[in-house]
Amino acid sequence: MARLKSPADLEQFRQGLRSGRDPKKPCVTICSGTGCHALGSDKVSEAFVREISRNGLKGKVDVRRTGCHGFCERGPLVVIFPQETCYLGVKPSDVSEIVSETLSANRLVDRLLYKDGDGTKVQLEDEIPFYKHQKRIVFGNNTLIDPKSIEDYIALGGYSALSKALFEMSPDQVLETVKDANLRGRGGGGFLAGTKWETTRDAPGDIRYVIVNADEGDPGAFMDRSLLEGNPHSVIEGLIIGAYAIGSHQGFVYVRQEYPLAVSNLQIALEQARKHGLLGKDILGSGFDFDVVIHRGAGAFVSGESSALMSAIEGVVGEPRPKYIRTAVSGVWERPSNLNNVETWANVPLIIDKGSDWFKNIGTEGSKGTKIFSLVGKVNNTGLVEVPMGMTLREIIYTIGGGIRNGKKFKAVQTGGPSGGCLPESLLDLPVDFDALTKAGSMMGSGGMIVMDEDTCMVDVARYFTEFLADESCGKCVPCRAGIEQMVKILNRICEGEGKTGDIELLEEISEVVRAASLCALGQTAPNPVLSTIKYFRDEYAAHIDEKRCPAGVCKALVSYYIDADKCTACGICRRECPVEAISGEKNVVHIIDQDKCIKCNTCYEVCPTRFSAVRKISGEPVPASPPPGTQVARAKGKQE
Amino acid sequence: MPRSSAKTTASGKPGGGRKRKTPPQAGEPQLAVETLARAGERLGMSGDDISRILGVVDSVAEEAQATESVVDKYKADESALIQVLLEIQRRNRWLSGADLATVCERLGVPFGRAYRIATFYKAFSLTPRGRHSVSVCMGTACHVRGAPRLLDRVVEAIGVKPGETTDDQKFTLETVNCLGCCALGPVIVVDEEYHSNPSSKELDSIKRACD
Repeated sequence: MARLKSPADLEQFRQGLRSGRDPKKPCVTICSGTGCHALGSDKVSEAFVREISRNGLKGKVDVRRTGCHGFCERGPLVVIFPQETCYLGVKPSDVSEIVSETLSANRLVDRLLYKDGDGTKVQLEDEIPFYKHQKRIVFGNNTLIDPKSIEDYIALGGYSALSKALFEMSPDQVLETVKDANLRGRGGGGFLAGTKWETTRDAPGDIRYVIVNADEGDPGAFMDRSLLEGNPHSVIEGLIIGAYAIGSHQGFVYVRQEYPLAVSNLQIALEQARKHGLLGKDILGSGFDFDVVIHRGAGAFVSGESSALMSAIEGVVGEPRPKYIRTAVSGVWERPSNLNNVETWANVPLIIDKGSDWFKNIGTEGSKGTKIFSLVGKVNNTGLVEVPMGMTLREIIYTIGGGIRNGKKFKAVQTGGPSGGCLPESLLDLPVDFDALTKAGSMMGSGGMIVMDEDTCMVDVARYFTEFLADESCGKCVPCRAGIEQMVKILNRICEGEGKTGDIELLEEISEVVRAASLCALGQTAPNPVLSTIKYFRDEYAAHIDEKRCPAGVCKALVSYYIDADKCTACGICRRECPVEAISGEKNVVHIIDQDKCIKCNTCYEVCPTRFSAVRKISGEPVPASPPPGTQVARAKGKQE
Repeated sequence: MPRSSAKTTASGKPGGGRKRKTPPQAGEPQLAVETLARAGERLGMSGDDISRILGVVDSVAEEAQATESVVDKYKADESALIQVLLEIQRRNRWLSGADLATVCERLGVPFGRAYRIATFYKAFSLTPRGRHSVSVCMGTACHVRGAPRLLDRVVEAIGVKPGETTDDQKFTLETVNCLGCCALGPVIVVDEEYHSNPSSKELDSIKRACD
């Protein structure tokens, strides 16, 4: 491939690609994102290649392994073009039928289609409720692109925004467009990207840097990974445009080493972009030079903080520093450095391509565009969803997410990762909007959305996040290092039934200090999970402290298990599954749990068939006396009588 | 020459699949048992001991060589310190004191800085990690779906706590904060294979499947 030396070259190359592609030619796309990969999509795509050649269709059908489609719950996902037939949960053993039926005979394989609540089958991906209510402007191309192919990206219009920026706009115009679009940072705080760019551009110095923050450390969030893995060129294109606006010639991508596929897809993409003259010296013949270096993070949550991340790029320990002077002015090697998150960069080409007015049409007054959320936890349709800002939490969880699993009752939704908070049912009609979420005591964060049901203990959740933050605190400043640790101690005490009156107030007091006095955002936001759960679920804390009861039955020290003698049928499943042999009993004899041996692992409770529901979990009350050993089960007794 | 034949043994299998501190594997060229026995007699050791020592000497030499080549690759650039350590960790499954010293000398950075990095980031280990890695996801989505109970079962099955390695160097157990496959949660990853909420019995069979 020769270098593209002008916008005309790029267009010609694009036209060449498009004319060489027959839109009517069948193409099987197989999601190879992390979720589907874990469910075995590799074997599915191998099976397709094999079956297609066995059916004599080699050359007549394309097979494409794409990035994440989002509907991880029902993976591995297969979409067959041009009809856009979507098959869910495809196993290698289904492939020969798909090839002989759908590809050869143009018939549907009914059992692999999505079924609505009333049993209606849905053929098209876009018609499935999970996708239907989304607005996938950033994430949508993931399903159409092989992330290892720059041709796929260019054929879909890729790098046209870069060409437009370089040849039809001045750097100032690019910056003004992004500012006018009101693009806010998708990584956490929601700071205005255009304003940040401007600060870096105007800061004194000759050398400036632009950086992609792909150190996605929030547990339960994986949208940045899926973007970088599935559509790396969109992030690179955004970065080059930003560099042009800011006047930077060197970029960095800071990506977690826990994301090996993202690293390798990005490496391939950078190499391809260089070969095509879209990166490096004299990009597209414009005279603008820019290149990118990848830095892998070695596993520290705090390194996602801007000043810490920049230290890590310099090769020293990734700890935050006081930011009297912003990193936008003095960052990597004390030079002006503009840092934005993966999703923010991926929005830039869209804004340049379609204009700021188009972007502003989507979203709310203060939050424009869309946001990708990872909708996870106790929700039916787990996966990545991209919705316009302003959609309510209820719509996301119920309309797109299909409601709560196993018919349980909704309890809370956690947004914003460890820096965010838990919102109760009464706030479900809150729109997703940077300011509305912050006002409610949570935050947008990078977009984790963890749904919790009635079986989730909110004190335990607060403890979980606080423990996580205690572990990840770098220890540089005292309020964060010592404060969070004390909060963990108190929360542990409460969960273990040793909570004291006044503990809630003490937690609130420490929270205030940690929030006000910590050096970086990790400490400043660390109390959020605790404060928001206290605010909305204070009665659960009180139950733990005053009644020694865990209402959700999660805190081990506060629960006990026993077997209801009237319901036990002596089926023996619990006895066989118990890992510590704490259950005694034999055929037709009521089983008994030895309370001294029981480790409260919940196994018996889970394995007891629901039609018996003989294993009971209780909290805050004494365990009823066991029947005398050898008591016959009720059914057997009935037979004897 | 006996030493060089032992060397072929180790260098014959480059990359990460190498077994540490174990005698040469079946099917590979080995020192004659007789030679080992005679060497042992002279040193007052058993032939097995000699064989084991030679194996360790080989793997140490190989690790040192890997370290040098990684530093070469990054052109001894000081700012590449973290990247260099990451790659050495990946190749050798740990950072030995000697490796750290080599890196510091070649990059011209104080030992304290490398040590600080090696203890700050989760990716690094200052003790050898086991041949099979077992990661239990403790991400939020897995947590609310019962990850703590799964972790209890895994600890029970392997017999070590998170962060520890079994005495036979077979398994290292770790907890991670999110693997990004929340739909499968709670999930564990054994040598890059994902398993969704395995029961105690399933854990036993997963464990048996590891050599």
